[in-house]
Amino acid sequence: MTTTAQIPQLRTPVKPFYFNTSAHLLRITTQKANTLAELLDALRECPDDSIFQHTFRTLQEHHFLREGFSNDFAHWALAACNEPSLAEQLAGVDVREFTSLGELRERFVQIVEKHLHLNPGDASRLAEETFYFCAADIVMLPTNFVAETMQDFAKGLREVSVHSIHHHFIEARLRLKLMSNDFSQWLHEDVGLTEAARAVNRIDIYTATLEGVRGQIVRIVERALM
Amino acid sequence: MKLVKPQTATTEQDGPKLSAQPQPMLPDRRKAPRTWETPPAPVAPPHLDDYQSIVGAAEIDELRFLAREPKGKTVKMVNSTAVGGGVAEMLNRLVPLLGELDVTTHWDVITGGNDFFEVTKAFHNALHGDEYHLTRAAQEIFLAYNEQNRQRMQFAEDMIVIHDPQPAALIGSKTGSKKDSPARWVWRCHIDLSNPNPQVWGFLRPFIEQYDAAIFSSQSFARQLCMPQYLFYPCIDPLSEKNKELDESFVQKVCDEFGIDRSRPVVTQVSRFDRLKDPVGVVQAFKLARKYVDCQLVLAGGGASDDPEGALVLKEVKEAAGDDPDIIILDLPPWCALEINALQRASTIVVQKSIKEGFGLTVTEALWKGKPTIAGAVGGIPNQIIHKLTGMLVHSVEGCAYQVRYLLTHPEFAAQLGRNGREHVKENFLITTNVRRWLLLRRILLQERAA
Repeated sequence: MTTTAQIPQLRTPVKPFYFNTSAHLLRITTQKANTLAELLDALRECPDDSIFQHTFRTLQEHHFLREGFSNDFAHWALAACNEPSLAEQLAGVDVREFTSLGELRERFVQIVEKHLHLNPGDASRLAEETFYFCAADIVMLPTNFVAETMQDFAKGLREVSVHSIHHHFIEARLRLKLMSNDFSQWLHEDVGLTEAARAVNRIDIYTATLEGVRGQIVRIVERALM
Repeated sequence: MKLVKPQTATTEQDGPKLSAQPQPMLPDRRKAPRTWETPPAPVAPPHLDDYQSIVGAAEIDELRFLAREPKGKTVKMVNSTAVGGGVAEMLNRLVPLLGELDVTTHWDVITGGNDFFEVTKAFHNALHGDEYHLTRAAQEIFLAYNEQNRQRMQFAEDMIVIHDPQPAALIGSKTGSKKDSPARWVWRCHIDLSNPNPQVWGFLRPFIEQYDAAIFSSQSFARQLCMPQYLFYPCIDPLSEKNKELDESFVQKVCDEFGIDRSRPVVTQVSRFDRLKDPVGVVQAFKLARKYVDCQLVLAGGGASDDPEGALVLKEVKEAAGDDPDIIILDLPPWCALEINALQRASTIVVQKSIKEGFGLTVTEALWKGKPTIAGAVGGIPNQIIHKLTGMLVHSVEGCAYQVRYLLTHPEFAAQLGRNGREHVKENFLITTNVRRWLLLRRILLQERAA
């Protein structure tokens, strides 16, 4: 005989899910790099807001690209420095493995340091274009969508902007300080759909557009509703 | 080579006049193009809800949420002209949209004599890097008209936005006229300040440094300044004559009138006849590419009739084109937005092979229309074209020719570039995105002050 403890129950959420979103204003900072050595210096010294802009935020700005774009540092290493090996390593940094911008910064610093240690001649070679460090000023906003039921949740997922999807699914880990996202947290903690929560958290943001990610989340939620 | 230049031919007493005279240079099989000889009546600007079908209801809702706070805070925009030029065109669209969001926005235009505008024109060119000797007389003219305008205008709004250098000294002298109002002052610089004439920049800088924030169109245009600097990309209006959806029948009609054969690939560059747009380089690239692929070239531009240098460049382009019947050169008046729109939509590939560029809004227009685009890697173009993802960047005639061949022979890849390019514009370079940026700036600056 199975018990309710063994079977996840689809129930009325304990708490509603409030769909929010965030808007970003791009600020130009004083830091820039014309060589990999300058990039390394700036990576060490730039504000966390800049690390956020060139990783998390740039993913949102380029959410429609399915492949070939990961973060601004990797793009610059390839397009302006013609360093495919370094670019691959930088592109391989998955922002979702980090819950703090400090750790994320350290990962980029390590990769560039290692590359320059192995290839000291690359340090002072002039890039074809300057890398300008920017930063994001963020304003959090509500939306018109509040999910009291799973049906509301599915509807909200379908109708909110991609900015809201990014806010809850990608940026959330910086707020939560967890290797998770707002959708999975809510599905697990407030609805009891642990498997669906895990499935949502496993979606690969680097091989799908943000609209594609939205579609995958909706499908997981709809399957849970069946 | 075919040259199509609208000629004067009065056909109506009132309203815009149509030009429809046959051109002696036109081959017989061509009809005479009909373009407006005078500007048509302006179209009423769209409303915020009209953009919903383009960017989605959720995006428009986000603008409404953003506009709610800080409640009742007003904005003033000041520039140097009410009509003509990109800034006035942008403000004509932006101000009503902010008003619809209940953000009261006043737009004031400074006045000045010819002497003032001669000085500011020289300043403009000098800030772009031209050589210029700044005289005491020029400084006095600039300051006198700014002071005159400052006395005339009221600055009762909460956020004052001054566009470009002409009214930059409205903020007053270092002794603190700005502080007469509790407003936050923002300098919106639309020009490239990456290599300014040091005398002119040295003269303007003390004024600029009194502002609370500055806005530039590209990271590379910014200077080292003491206040926060923001990046606002220029934008296009998807509902303007130049960018709105068109009936296929209209596109076909324009092509028929301009002698464009749509059964064959069409490569187009839209830009003034200006050496910095390298139209001769485009002709050379086309000739190289056509050794391998069948296509036609359309060079659509203007500026040859009212600019002696433009006329010279047009002559060079005609010489480079020779008697090639597949090169169609269109010298169009500036109000042919619908025709330009149709030409871009009829194109298989759009080229913008600039040697120097501001932001390159013709690139934005082409990307918005989903066109695979090849462009010079200069100015603001790399912000729009991510090489091999949203378009192709080139650095030479040969590179341009190769990319024309490649895209014409790889239509699936070209189509993907077009789709990505359109999404890139939708996310970053539409007027609704700029409304969002202004609302964000208002919120950040004014709430910061309240805090």
